[in-house]
Amino acid sequence: MIEKNDAEHILIIDDEESILDGCRQALEKSGYSVITTSDGPDGIRIAREKKPELAFVDLKMPNCSGMDIIELLTKDLPGIVLIVITGYASIVSAVEAMKKGAYDYLPKPFTPDQLRAVTKRGLEHRFLKIEADRLREEKERMEKNFITFVSHEMRSPLVTIQQYIETLKVIAGDDLKKEVFEIIERCDKRIQSLQDLVEHWLDLSRIENGTFSQAKESLALVNILEKSIEELNPLCHRREIRLISDIQKDLPNIMGDQESLLRVFTNIIGNATKYTPAGGTISVDTDFDDYYIYVKITDTGSGIPQDKLPFIFEPFYRVKGKDERQRGSGLGLTFSRKIMEAHDGKIEVTSKEGEGTTFILKFPRLYEL
Amino acid sequence: MDSKKKILLIDDDKDFLMATKLILEKGGYEVFLAEDGHSGVETAKSVNPDLAIIDMMMETWSEGFNVVSQLRTSESGKEIPLIMLSAVDLQGPYQSFEPPENLPTVDMVLHKPIKADDLIKYVGQLLEK
Ligand SMILES: Nc1ncnc2c1ncn2[C@@H]1O[C@H](COP(=O)(O)OP(=O)(O)O)[C@@H](O)[C@H]1O
Repeated sequence: MIEKNDAEHILIIDDEESILDGCRQALEKSGYSVITTSDGPDGIRIAREKKPELAFVDLKMPNCSGMDIIELLTKDLPGIVLIVITGYASIVSAVEAMKKGAYDYLPKPFTPDQLRAVTKRGLEHRFLKIEADRLREEKERMEKNFITFVSHEMRSPLVTIQQYIETLKVIAGDDLKKEVFEIIERCDKRIQSLQDLVEHWLDLSRIENGTFSQAKESLALVNILEKSIEELNPLCHRREIRLISDIQKDLPNIMGDQESLLRVFTNIIGNATKYTPAGGTISVDTDFDDYYIYVKITDTGSGIPQDKLPFIFEPFYRVKGKDERQRGSGLGLTFSRKIMEAHDGKIEVTSKEGEGTTFILKFPRLYEL
Repeated sequence: MDSKKKILLIDDDKDFLMATKLILEKGGYEVFLAEDGHSGVETAKSVNPDLAIIDMMMETWSEGFNVVSQLRTSESGKEIPLIMLSAVDLQGPYQSFEPPENLPTVDMVLHKPIKADDLIKYVGQLLEK
């Protein structure tokens, strides 16, 4: 409820002195502090200076448009509640004023009780709005703090464990039995997966609360694709998978963030390497038409069952099956889709079990205006 | 062979200190440890290290920078190579923090965890100069 320890300030802008007087009396009686003026520009000046909680504005004044006052005050003073006073039968302009930011309207003629009721409702609305804003900010702050907390408190121990493992290998590596060394290597791998999981989760949280920084610049996809292929070439080589690409040199530029797109491509090609057996092929090609640029990544791997396809973009979802030994966070595709959405793009997938999978990334074309 | 070169390691994570100390000792260095910025600066004064490695995030996210500033203005730390360690990519929430004014310069920034080979290699390179 509204507490009246400090009287709330109410401004009334109306060219009719009798209305100003009437309103002042009615509202002061209820304990409000009332300021009145019959001049529009003067009203704006007072509003900026005194920052009243609520203002009544007459829409029809001789040398000043009430509508303009509404527009100006809405922009200048986000917290103010504006109520328009209208002549009878001018509901249309009242509606227009409300579209411009007024909260309510009071048709003339009105009684002191009506005036007080509208005032009370307006102030309650203001109070609720302030409260809601505060809660929203509080929630955002908590989310941010939580991300900060996780990024420090979860990463630190992981990093330290990794450092210990590194140290173990260095100071005792030569003395260790092969089996023991292997166990250490396995620990290292598992810790690395956990670390990846934390990183992926952090990225997603940042995208969700808007703190993931993304540049928007004109980019040649060719360069990013080539970089990503270069990054994955050694891995494909080791796994005896052919990685071939056919990237058009005249592919138009897109608007986007280089770093995150590089991660999307590396993610998707990386997935293909995980689920494609030795002897298989991964191909990366591109295409474009008047509206879109397409990047197609096809593999001859295990494929994804039809009934599982709809879920693969869900956070933490992983298809269970023969490839259990392939580790992952289940967040790679979730991240990729979010990044594509941030680029006004799309990510589509088709797959046939036992034959392979195709991911198509669609980017809108950028036209110089 | 002259006596061992001295390296000062400042980090508020005791385990990280231990792990890194062992790698540096294996590399033939004498290692001194400090668990917070203040004692790091004090230790520098008493042992006159040949190189110092400082974690960026200690009590506060930028404590490492304060330590670097203090070392850079002290007799014992003025001339020596400094390596800053960081575990965070300066993304997301950290972006919104104001970086300290007049960011002091270090000779190298390394990301945790550090490969033993890299650590020995870089420390060697910096000490040669
Ligand atoms: N190229 C592919 N071939 C077969 N299955 C795939 C392919 N790409 C993704 N998947 C399936 O989709 C699931 C979700 O992928 P992703 O979100 O990247 O998480 P993960 O970390 O498990 O790879 C994977 O667990 C895998 O089962």
